[in-house]
Amino acid sequence: MTSDRDRTDPGRAEKSHESAVSTIPDGGTVNTPFDVVSEYEETRRDRLKKLYDTYVYAPISIIKRDWRARIGFAIVLLYVFTATVGVYLIEPTHVTEGPGLAKPFETWEYPLGTDDMGRDLLSSTVHSTSEILKMILSGGLFTVTLGTTVGALAGYKGGVVDTVLSSITDVFINLPGLPTVMVLALMLPITGNPYLIGVLLTITAWGGLARAIRSQVLTLRQEPFVEAARSMGVPSYEIVFKDIVPHLMPFVVINLTNAARRVIFSAAGLYFLGVLPFRNHNWGVTLNLAYSGGAHYKTGALHWFLMPMIAITGISIGLILLGQSLDRVFNPRVRARHEKKLAESQLDEVEPEDDDSETMIGAA
Amino acid sequence: MTTSQSTYLDDPTANDPVMEIRNATVRFGMERGESRVLDDVSIDLERNEIFGVVGESGSGKSMLASALLDAVVEPGVLDGSITYRPQSGEPVDVLELNKNELRQFRWEEVAMVFQGAMSSFNPVRKIDTHFIETLTSHDYDVDEGMERARQLISDLYMDPERVLDSYPHELSGGMKQRTLIALSLILEPDVLVMDEPTAALDLLMQRSIVSLIEEIKEEYDLTILFITHDLPLVADLADRIAVMYAFEFIELGPTAEILQHASHPYTRLLLKSTPNLASPIEAMRPIEGSAPDPVNVPSGCSFHLRCPLADEQCVDVDPRAYPVGDGGDHVANCHYWEDAPETIPMTEEWDVEGIDAIDSAPGPSRADGPLVSLEDVEVHFEKEGGFLDFFSDPDTVQAVDGISLDIYENDVVVLVGESGCGKTTFGKTAVGLQEPTAGSVKYKGQDIWDLKRTGGDGSMSFDAVRRALQIVHQDPGSALNAHRRVGTSLEVPLKRWNPELDGNDRKSRIVSLLEHVGMAPAEDYIDRYPHQLSGGEQQRVALIRAMLMNPDLILADEPVSALDVSLRVEMMDLMIELQEQFDTSYLFVSHDLSNARYIAEKTGGRIGVVYLGELVEIGRPEEIIHDPQHPYTQALRWATPELDFEGGGMGGESPVRNIDVPDPTNPPSGCRYHTRCPEAREVCTTEHPEPREASAADFHEAACFRTDERHEYWQSPSITDD
Amino acid sequence: MVTIGWRTRRLAQAAFTVWAVITISFVLIRLMPGNAMGAMMVSFEQQGMSPARARELVELRLSVDPNKPIPVAYVEYIASTLRGDLGTSMAQGEPVAELLAAALPWTLFVLSWSIFISFFIGISVGALMAYWEGGKLDVGLTSWAILMGSIPFYVLAILLLIFASYRWGLFPSGGRQPTGVPQGFNVTYVRGILYHAALPVFSMLVASGVASLGMRGNSIRVLGADYLRVARLRGLSDYTISTQYVARNAVLPMYTTLLISIGEMFGGSIVLEYVFNYRGLGLLLFEAYNQRDYALMMGGFVLITVAVVTTLFIADMTYSWVDPRAGGQDSESY
Repeated sequence: MTSDRDRTDPGRAEKSHESAVSTIPDGGTVNTPFDVVSEYEETRRDRLKKLYDTYVYAPISIIKRDWRARIGFAIVLLYVFTATVGVYLIEPTHVTEGPGLAKPFETWEYPLGTDDMGRDLLSSTVHSTSEILKMILSGGLFTVTLGTTVGALAGYKGGVVDTVLSSITDVFINLPGLPTVMVLALMLPITGNPYLIGVLLTITAWGGLARAIRSQVLTLRQEPFVEAARSMGVPSYEIVFKDIVPHLMPFVVINLTNAARRVIFSAAGLYFLGVLPFRNHNWGVTLNLAYSGGAHYKTGALHWFLMPMIAITGISIGLILLGQSLDRVFNPRVRARHEKKLAESQLDEVEPEDDDSETMIGAA
Repeated sequence: MTTSQSTYLDDPTANDPVMEIRNATVRFGMERGESRVLDDVSIDLERNEIFGVVGESGSGKSMLASALLDAVVEPGVLDGSITYRPQSGEPVDVLELNKNELRQFRWEEVAMVFQGAMSSFNPVRKIDTHFIETLTSHDYDVDEGMERARQLISDLYMDPERVLDSYPHELSGGMKQRTLIALSLILEPDVLVMDEPTAALDLLMQRSIVSLIEEIKEEYDLTILFITHDLPLVADLADRIAVMYAFEFIELGPTAEILQHASHPYTRLLLKSTPNLASPIEAMRPIEGSAPDPVNVPSGCSFHLRCPLADEQCVDVDPRAYPVGDGGDHVANCHYWEDAPETIPMTEEWDVEGIDAIDSAPGPSRADGPLVSLEDVEVHFEKEGGFLDFFSDPDTVQAVDGISLDIYENDVVVLVGESGCGKTTFGKTAVGLQEPTAGSVKYKGQDIWDLKRTGGDGSMSFDAVRRALQIVHQDPGSALNAHRRVGTSLEVPLKRWNPELDGNDRKSRIVSLLEHVGMAPAEDYIDRYPHQLSGGEQQRVALIRAMLMNPDLILADEPVSALDVSLRVEMMDLMIELQEQFDTSYLFVSHDLSNARYIAEKTGGRIGVVYLGELVEIGRPEEIIHDPQHPYTQALRWATPELDFEGGGMGGESPVRNIDVPDPTNPPSGCRYHTRCPEAREVCTTEHPEPREASAADFHEAACFRTDERHEYWQSPSITDD
Repeated sequence: MVTIGWRTRRLAQAAFTVWAVITISFVLIRLMPGNAMGAMMVSFEQQGMSPARARELVELRLSVDPNKPIPVAYVEYIASTLRGDLGTSMAQGEPVAELLAAALPWTLFVLSWSIFISFFIGISVGALMAYWEGGKLDVGLTSWAILMGSIPFYVLAILLLIFASYRWGLFPSGGRQPTGVPQGFNVTYVRGILYHAALPVFSMLVASGVASLGMRGNSIRVLGADYLRVARLRGLSDYTISTQYVARNAVLPMYTTLLISIGEMFGGSIVLEYVFNYRGLGLLLFEAYNQRDYALMMGGFVLITVAVVTTLFIADMTYSWVDPRAGGQDSESY
């Protein structure tokens, strides 16, 4: 917004109410504010600029300031880069590309060594990244969307809706993750589609989030600002998604990264057991091959295990760091500090040290 | 930054100080520079006096309390000297004590009561553990100590066995606060520092605790430092009063002196801005401006920005403490203390009878029938029972139990009562936010809950009701969505109800309203988040948001109690002004009779008194204040502190027989007030009084047998002998 | 409106969950396209059995009679499941219930140690981090906790297997009990059991990472509470403050984390026991999966779920003793 814009003068409206003695310093009186239609105008550019400030500039500058966020972002970006560009830089590997169980760091042909069939481990790690990321994406989004929606609806609507949704949620909370996935994989015809597998892996994971969201919503819906929205006749879905859910965002983001971590852990674990169908090699499959190939007792085979292990651990470190720092992006106090327009005028109050607030008085 | 001292050492009348504070300064290093939250304060605390410290929030008064116990929270740094002089033995330099000595000094010599009694107890341990662990930590005899604890608790009108065997969350706020007082006295300290000990409580409870404090002070031979924002409250209690502004004392003197001859402009303005029952409402004026930030205290006299007397000398030179009067015990830090009484008169309008104002007040129009009509409204909540309660009846909280009330156009009704009496629940029922379990709520003749379920007869939609009835909450901070900017929050009602407006129209309307309530430049405010506004500004935004709906009735739930005392009158004035402009009615909810009186008198409205879910008395403010008929109204009247300019002293004995409100799950039979009523007789325990005309005045009703001269009550034996 | 105690409601909810799980397993066995029952019938008939004989065998194996109408079969399935009759293992020819009962204690043994030790570590480390918040120790331990949280337990298990067992020979590489030692309550046998359980238990200690981060947050919150300030002013000893005030209030919210871990660890035992070839419930299920032993698989699934439901129920009940404020939440309809 530019400061040289003409400011509307509400006092322009005719002053017909003499009775009111205005105690307001600097306001003037108006007949009724519903008469006032000023020529206040905001151009499309202003609006775009504001949107940019809110959704692009502020989050980026918050992230730039936090070391955890920087490292986390860098790690996750590295994986995304590997999955998208890396696959073109490094050729896919095949059996007997090199000698069996070649040591790492000895040749540029297969810099991280080979497995017992002579496959290049770097290449196979790189080429499994995109499948895993797809699973993470679908599993994470599935958990968060379903968990938040069910939890928020149950908490806000209450009554029968709550009873039904909570009972379903409770069943899923009690289902043990890996065994359920195994039973489903055994009983249902499941293909190796990574998106489908991502959902399958988190089929029991959303329950915990839904329960936590529900209990937070139960508190939030008593908040005055929600009651005010109700009294203004704002429809329920709008209250839930515009008033309540933004307050849960830090929590949701942490859970998104947790769900993503869970997808990697269970995917790799189940592939390690060899109970999930797959189309291409991935980290878990490599672990499985290494274990059944006896890499844990053969000498000189340790690197076969290490590559997938490092890949799994690396991305989950990235996700944890990101989850711990991203909540700041949703904090209005932090946001306000980082938005350009307000950054200059130090509007943020420093927390008062002398905290004799009187807000507790006479809660009726 | 001010550099002078506030020194009040020359008090000839008393020369036995129990604590001497010299040049106490507390500094905090902050990003924006160093801040002094206590600025070079020196004072003597005389033995066995009650010393009142009055200041608004952020004036540094809590810091003073922490300093006395050398308990300033890190990273604050306390300088200066604090000397404690026990009755016998050597003086103690508190700031020089080592860790172990300090541990003994605190609580054994000087104890403290916080305002946050709600959170002062360990939530997972019983009350008795708190007493026992305090005794053992200080190597006191536990049996003897617990005997004392029981005595203390019963001195505070509670059942020792029950209290000691409870978990903190099982006690009510008032009981917790009294228990905390008992806990603070368990080691028999000489000095008790009380930091807003009653701020979170109801007036009746506040007042009861204040009278208990006087009794306890005598019995246990205490010196009390009583810190509060509430000048009238401490005026009843304290021997001397000191007023704090911007982290230092600006005036100090005996209570009567301060009340009658206040000489600092701030003190005078504070006295004028405090709503009370005695002075005419025209005399109440807000203080313009706001208190300074600790980093940025104005040069010279820190009050000069808001002071009507300020000139260049005040900007340049920090005033020293000028003695006022001849006694030598009254001092004020103002260059123009002599001119202050003339420039800021307290009494000029005292000749004018406050009653005259009412005739000119607009008052409701009753011609068209009631706007909102509530009939025999009941709201019962069910409490969850435990496992073993499965077979017993569930506990039911009778929040509202059979209240009828008509609200007209341009009407104002103020509901007063203690917390938990159901006044807020009733208010929410009246604006359709709470469904009554029995009775009816009608808007312009239509039952709104019928309308919601069945659509009524088609003449009106529930949407229209929703639009007509609005709410303004007590805590403005949580009434606004913290994640939305002011502009976005204010757009909601316009988007919902004025779809014909485009973005620019909406914005211009919002801008003009913001400026109208004094928030300029509005374009700047629109883009702020709620946390970037002060409490008063937040409340204005909430108020505008309700007004943008163009409602017929607004429930204002304690709209000013979260604000600083000096801002309350201003906010109430704004609400009254907006009422006239928007042609709306108000249902106010307040626990404070002075605020209720201010609003009702200024608007020609009524005051309704609610007790345990029932409306016990209703009428014009003149009747409720000056001619209360129900004993409960009389008790509230007693509990409302008055600025008695003629000299201190409590307004007589407490008119309640029991401090605590009975359990609302199991309200007393007959008249619900009979357990506390000083006039209760046999018949009150069995028969339930209905509201009836209470005096010759219009609209004055009370639900008490005493209003009926021929009632059998007068023959019934009294039950108040115990 | 009917009001019942939250404990009663909690019990009803646990019962509902058990019922739902049994129903799900029935649906999977009987109703799904390509379901277990159909697959078994086909395979028996392919082996040259008469359809009647095949049906008999299927009923014996799965407790579901393919001939009966679905509702009847459903009721019978539930009845036999509740009686503890989970069918007969196809591969091992023994009743599923007996096989599971023999394996369960071993898994519980490893899990209870894992949970106990990892929460003990998590809570202690979290408290240390909170006490020295912002210091070097805090930063170091936080990094450790993040690393622990990022390593899947089976990765640690494989590493332990490689190093602690194969390379350094400190612990046995697999199995659950010593060979050549008479079973029973004698020192050699008990030591052997502990020895065999050690690596599985250590592998699960990665859970302490997340737990310690949670504990750190809780402790920091409690350290800022009003009641702590009052307690200090009252001159309570550091010991009382740290145990009765900080620890107790900070540990309470950890209960939820603990509950979630129990369910996860039960599931994780499949992978864990596979790595160490530890003959418990998990390995049994894994073998059942590989041999398409539907009865054993479903029986194990129902058993694990019931175990989780029971644990969570007991935990919820005991929580109300630990925290006097615990109780149900009300949910009024809007």
